[in-house]
Amino acid sequence: MTPPAGPAADPAAMVTTPATASAARTGSRGSAGASSRAAVPLTPIFVRLKLSLLRNGLKGSSKRKAAYFSSLAFALVVGFFVTLGLALLHGNVHAGTVVVLLAALLALGWAFMPLFFPTGDETLDPSRLVMLPLRPRPLVRALLVSSLVGIGPLFTLCLAVGSVLAVARGAAGAVAAVVAAPLLVLGCVTLARAVATANVRLLSSRKGRDLAILSGLLIAVGGQLVNFGSQRLFQAGGLATLEPVEAVVRWLPPATAIGMVDSASEGAYGVAAAQLALTVAAVVALLWFWERSLTRLMVTPDGSTIAAARPTKDRGAGGVWSLLPAGRTGAAVQRTLRYAVRDPKTKAAWVTALAIGMIIPVFNALQGTGSVYLACFGASMLGMQMYNQFGQDTSAFWMVAQTISNTRDAYVELRARAFALALVTVPFTVLVTVVTAAVIGDWSSFPAATGLSLALLGSMLCTGALASARFPYSIPSDGAFKNVVPGQAGLAWAGIFGGLLVSAVISAPVIVLTIWLNAAEHHDISWIVLPVGVAWGALATWAGLRLSAPTVARKLPEILSAVSKG
Amino acid sequence: MPDQGDATGGTNGTGGARSAPPAVRVEGLWKRFGDQVAVAGIDLELPAGRFIGLVGPNGAGKTTTLSMVTGLLRPDMGRVHVAGHDVWADPTEVKARIGVLPEGLRLFERLSGRELLGYMGRMRGLPGEETDKRATQLLDVLDLAGSQHKLVVDYSTGMRKKIGLAAALLHNPEVLFLDEPFEGVDPVSAQTIRGVLERYTASGATVIFSSHVMELVESLCDWVAVMAAGRIRAAGPLAEVRGSAPSLQAAFLELVGAHGRHAAGDSLEWLGGGSGAGSR
Repeated sequence: MTPPAGPAADPAAMVTTPATASAARTGSRGSAGASSRAAVPLTPIFVRLKLSLLRNGLKGSSKRKAAYFSSLAFALVVGFFVTLGLALLHGNVHAGTVVVLLAALLALGWAFMPLFFPTGDETLDPSRLVMLPLRPRPLVRALLVSSLVGIGPLFTLCLAVGSVLAVARGAAGAVAAVVAAPLLVLGCVTLARAVATANVRLLSSRKGRDLAILSGLLIAVGGQLVNFGSQRLFQAGGLATLEPVEAVVRWLPPATAIGMVDSASEGAYGVAAAQLALTVAAVVALLWFWERSLTRLMVTPDGSTIAAARPTKDRGAGGVWSLLPAGRTGAAVQRTLRYAVRDPKTKAAWVTALAIGMIIPVFNALQGTGSVYLACFGASMLGMQMYNQFGQDTSAFWMVAQTISNTRDAYVELRARAFALALVTVPFTVLVTVVTAAVIGDWSSFPAATGLSLALLGSMLCTGALASARFPYSIPSDGAFKNVVPGQAGLAWAGIFGGLLVSAVISAPVIVLTIWLNAAEHHDISWIVLPVGVAWGALATWAGLRLSAPTVARKLPEILSAVSKG
Repeated sequence: MPDQGDATGGTNGTGGARSAPPAVRVEGLWKRFGDQVAVAGIDLELPAGRFIGLVGPNGAGKTTTLSMVTGLLRPDMGRVHVAGHDVWADPTEVKARIGVLPEGLRLFERLSGRELLGYMGRMRGLPGEETDKRATQLLDVLDLAGSQHKLVVDYSTGMRKKIGLAAALLHNPEVLFLDEPFEGVDPVSAQTIRGVLERYTASGATVIFSSHVMELVESLCDWVAVMAAGRIRAAGPLAEVRGSAPSLQAAFLELVGAHGRHAAGDSLEWLGGGSGAGSR
């Protein structure tokens, strides 16, 4: 086949893609088209395309415009201060450690960001380009340049400049710094593109979208871990403890770029040269890998849906499931639990609640600041899952609505959902209390704390059922951080906060009893809170389900339309 | 052929056993969304035991009407009776007698096809064993046996329609409501669905489905109702509605007033890729 006179007639880049094949046909047919294409370099087109898409995306929506410009301003301000702060580290003993680790974190962020936070940047989506007569090398060049345009790269550049300013000393250091800052940005962006392209089939498949939704979980749980980790770090003697890590990381590209500046400033030119070579080699290798996966992506058929949808083994009705009661109760419990495992939104909510419900009391206990009663926090986090039950069904709620024809049906449905939650949350609450009590060594408060937690859980189930019936709202199925559709946020927050307040009021008798027993030093009979709490929680749950069932049965069409907006 | 209903002048009505109430009776049905009137006072009686097509252009109010008839959407005004029972006053009687496959609403997609049927059957109060037996047969007949352990979220459009149909048939309803059951469905799946529906109506049950594909309605239905702009324009046995028009399509265009709208004259005179004038 004769390739057309492309923009860069590089024989090495000659690939028999369907795109080039079609180009060959067009070329032989209308030579005017081909020659005019040859005259236009690809890179400016892509940059212009990116800018147009950005401009058009902002057009017409003042909200989006405000969001974009405020995030731009935020990035610039933060970037400026971070650059300033890093530059002020100049001369500090730990400056090298901080900036090398920062560069590594930055690279890590760039590598994983595309997996969890698809930016929706259409210029970078290879599947949109597959029908165009483009060759890999100029395409990679154009994509690379256009992906350097944006807030992210700008912010990274700020950090890179600040980092090199922090460690650069002397003429050699200055020269190294000038080379290192762009290399770091280039390294980060190339890494992100290479990772994203290699995983594009995953990302565009259902499993990839599920993965993206779990990013909310990553942030919520990761945030807690970082919080406790950094507290630990500062208690344990500060940055000096990180030096061994830094010694390794400065040899890992693209952090090697910063390591190079440090080495050059100290006069270790050999080491600096080696680090520079390593950085450049890494960028070249990433580019090569990116080009290769891009080529493969554009010339092979997409089999990802077949792979992703391969039937799993029969998760049959037998086993543990057969222990569940027959009829609606069993079916609804089973479905609720399956959704907690399989539906990314539900899974993210459950795992966040379980993880934070465990982390807060246990980590506080580990730091010696905790109390067994903090285990209540876990109970209320888990109780929140009872809120907006029907919103969690999305518009599939119609299937439930079709089977509910009276108050009794509605009651059994709600009871089954509460039961499914309790199956997980009751043992978990007891577990959290046990672990917290064991860490603190305060077993005398254990029964009271368990009783209080279960009373709280019961009142959360009660208010959760009521809020589900009265304040249903849609949960969008896409986007990790969108848990309410626009226009229903007020409803959602009112339901949740009102519910939390009412839950506190409902469990007030048990709370007051616990406080009184503690204040009056009646530790010997504080176990009484356990049976009282269990009974109170069960009673509250029953009352909540009873009270909400008539509303559910009466308002099925209204609930359906409220939860179908996502 | 078993009982085919006794409706008003049926083309092939044999005067069967189901002389009882009509499958659906709608009186003065209204629905307004903001300023837009979706359904503007419908009166309609659909005979039992027929294959009934509800046809109309996009936005005619078909989905809104079917949603109100099946109890998924509350009407602003009007009464709906299905198999002799008031949909809003007597949901227990109605919900046990109808099967629904709505358009634009999701299924519980994180269940596998078999799990979905197992779930729906038990929710409907069928015994577990009976549910599983029926599910196996339905999956088999609808060509879904090979994908029964796949999650519905990974199903194609045709497979989704088929599993939705299976879920709607599981409890052996008297009246089946299907909103655009053939939309986006490949010819093979469409044929399978057709076969199942024909077998189902042959037993005397009623199928009411909406569509805007006239050829399909013409070949499947013996009774049609034509909707446009929220109103019923015509309703009756197929032959009656078609009248003297050569096809249902022609009759339909006449009824909704879209006849005589021709492709814009000479504004596309360059469009002739097949003539070879443009190449080389």
